[in-house]
Amino acid sequence: MKRRGTFLLVAALVLSMAGVLFAGGAKEQKEIVLNFPSFWVGQDSKAGPVAELITKFNADNAGKIKIVVEENPSPDPYRTKINASLAAGAVPDLFIFNPDPTSFQYYDGEILMDFTEELKGEWAKDFQEGYIQASTKKGRTKTVPYEIGITPIWYNSELFKKAGISEFPKTFDEFWVACDKLKAAGIVPTSQMTGGVNAWTSMLWYSHILASIGGPDVWNRPLTHPQYVEAAKILLRLYSDGNTTKDAVGGDAGVSGGHYLAGRTAIFINGPWYIGRAKKDAPAVHAATQLAFAPAVKGGTYGGLIGFQLSNLAAANTKDQAKREATLKFFRWMTKPENVKMISERSGAMFALKYQLGDNVDPLLKRFVEISNQAKFIVPHFQSQYPVHVTQELGQAIGAMVLGKATPEEFVQFLIRANK
Amino acid sequence: MLYETKRSLFRPLGIILKWSILLFFLLFTFVPLGWLVLSSFKTNFEFETNPFALPAVWQFGNYVKAIQISGLPRLFFNSIVVSSFSTVLNLLVTAMAAFVLSRLRFPFQNAILTTLTAGVLIPIIALMVPYFSIIRALGLYDTLWGLIVTYASINIPISVFLLHGFMRTLPRELEEAAVMDGCTLFQRFYRIVLPLSQLGIVTAGTFVFLYSWNEFLYAMLLTSSVASRTIQLGIRFFTSQFFIDYTAMYAAIVITILPSVVVYILFHDKIVRGLTSGAVKG
Repeated sequence: MKRRGTFLLVAALVLSMAGVLFAGGAKEQKEIVLNFPSFWVGQDSKAGPVAELITKFNADNAGKIKIVVEENPSPDPYRTKINASLAAGAVPDLFIFNPDPTSFQYYDGEILMDFTEELKGEWAKDFQEGYIQASTKKGRTKTVPYEIGITPIWYNSELFKKAGISEFPKTFDEFWVACDKLKAAGIVPTSQMTGGVNAWTSMLWYSHILASIGGPDVWNRPLTHPQYVEAAKILLRLYSDGNTTKDAVGGDAGVSGGHYLAGRTAIFINGPWYIGRAKKDAPAVHAATQLAFAPAVKGGTYGGLIGFQLSNLAAANTKDQAKREATLKFFRWMTKPENVKMISERSGAMFALKYQLGDNVDPLLKRFVEISNQAKFIVPHFQSQYPVHVTQELGQAIGAMVLGKATPEEFVQFLIRANK
Repeated sequence: MLYETKRSLFRPLGIILKWSILLFFLLFTFVPLGWLVLSSFKTNFEFETNPFALPAVWQFGNYVKAIQISGLPRLFFNSIVVSSFSTVLNLLVTAMAAFVLSRLRFPFQNAILTTLTAGVLIPIIALMVPYFSIIRALGLYDTLWGLIVTYASINIPISVFLLHGFMRTLPRELEEAAVMDGCTLFQRFYRIVLPLSQLGIVTAGTFVFLYSWNEFLYAMLLTSSVASRTIQLGIRFFTSQFFIDYTAMYAAIVITILPSVVVYILFHDKIVRGLTSGAVKG
């Protein structure tokens, strides 16, 4: 009887242990679902290849990890939503992080997953120089560098030929001469814009001019530095004497890009994401487009480029080790050089990772890579250095300066006031 | 005689001036709308290079694209549900609140009214984080009910303001007679005051409906799937990081403004009368 009791007790223990083990096993096999609000959807050029990668990842990890994309097609409202979620402490499992000074403030709390250790190891070798460092604040890397952009000068070589100009000017003195020749040939020299949320084209011109004046350390100087007024004077001249279109004040990216694609303006600035658009809507302009460094100001540097991090990958901090591993697995998948190469070749986007483009890619995209390699230095644009409201003020301030309501000195004062 | 001559001379001038002003405002109102409709039939290249020219070939495909890409029919249905329910919920709450605040006497009445209506002055963007937290805590995130409750709440101040202004102008004698006939407080509300406040209710309801129909920020903040999204989010399907499909987006906008136009056509006389009667009597 006693033996029978002991046997039953042991059997019960074994069964309960087995139950725990099986329960554990079942738990391990439970699918981890990671929600990924994304604006790489809809009409975005990366939508197709990114969706393919996620589908393949889900298929390869079927029953273990599932990435569920929440479609938020418009980037600006997307950022508003993410910021509200972060402020409310409801961080999405995965999301696209906007690497600007405002968003980097969220590094201070414990809400973001920390990738510092992983990005010090083998994984770091996949990334181009400098981008992990740029995503590291106070020694912690809480987002993974991903999409980058460079914005050299685009010029229409056919229009230059028509005006009798053989190559893109290297100094601003030569540049003004080229502008006069273009105007004499009935061509408006540059596309500009003060509209949109950030006066994109003109903001990039301003950044290029400042980079030529200040070199690699341009952004170490405060807004009170004379370089900002000096650059504003050149920007004003770009808007004067018929150097741009009449609708530039108030015009948005559609106006600025539209004039270039229509062959009305000869010089434009944008990133590689615009290649597809040019190829589709204006194949002749696309074929004639060459890239160049911005002209150097007197005494300034030639060969600098404006480049910046467009989007990083980020995730919610979690104590769940399995969820953390799943997140890391997905981010490693998305940053694999061959996967990044596929997105780049199909969308024209550029990435902070080391990859070689194939032979069949667009020649203009190849020129982007070449000019990036030739650059003496690459610095971010004005927008990335100041809070959102300063950039929003920029377009207004340019408009006021061009319409004669503000001097270049007052233009800079507008920016200083907005920055306070 | 001279006066008559002068008068007959100035009369046509006055008519010309009047019609010039009216035509100016007519053009000012309709040119952007016409331009929007015209642009919705162009290619993006035509739109960007010749924004005011007629399309070379009318692109009816933009409308097909607008419907297909953004899943407009589903979003349209969601918008109708959200706008209708939030309007009904808002009016249900605010009509009772306005009745109590305008027809009864009790301590802190004015303080309560001022506090409620002061909400009109708060920019809704300032309330994003609290609303987001509340809706998540209620388990209503990514549901149509989340949007219905939010829109009904956001519009409480404006509806109370309008309905209170309207109800307080109704003659007290009507209610007194009803009380004499044995009406309870609730009967006074739904048998006497509510039917007489029809104009005010339509005015407030139109405001709430149009707001709910056109709202974008909270629709984006409080939803994550197509199943619970509204039509304003559909319009954003045509904007991406570096490219905006303007013409398809304009086609989607033309489709989305149709219900607002229909609502206004159906109720415009009541809206105008409601606004003016409140203004004069108030």
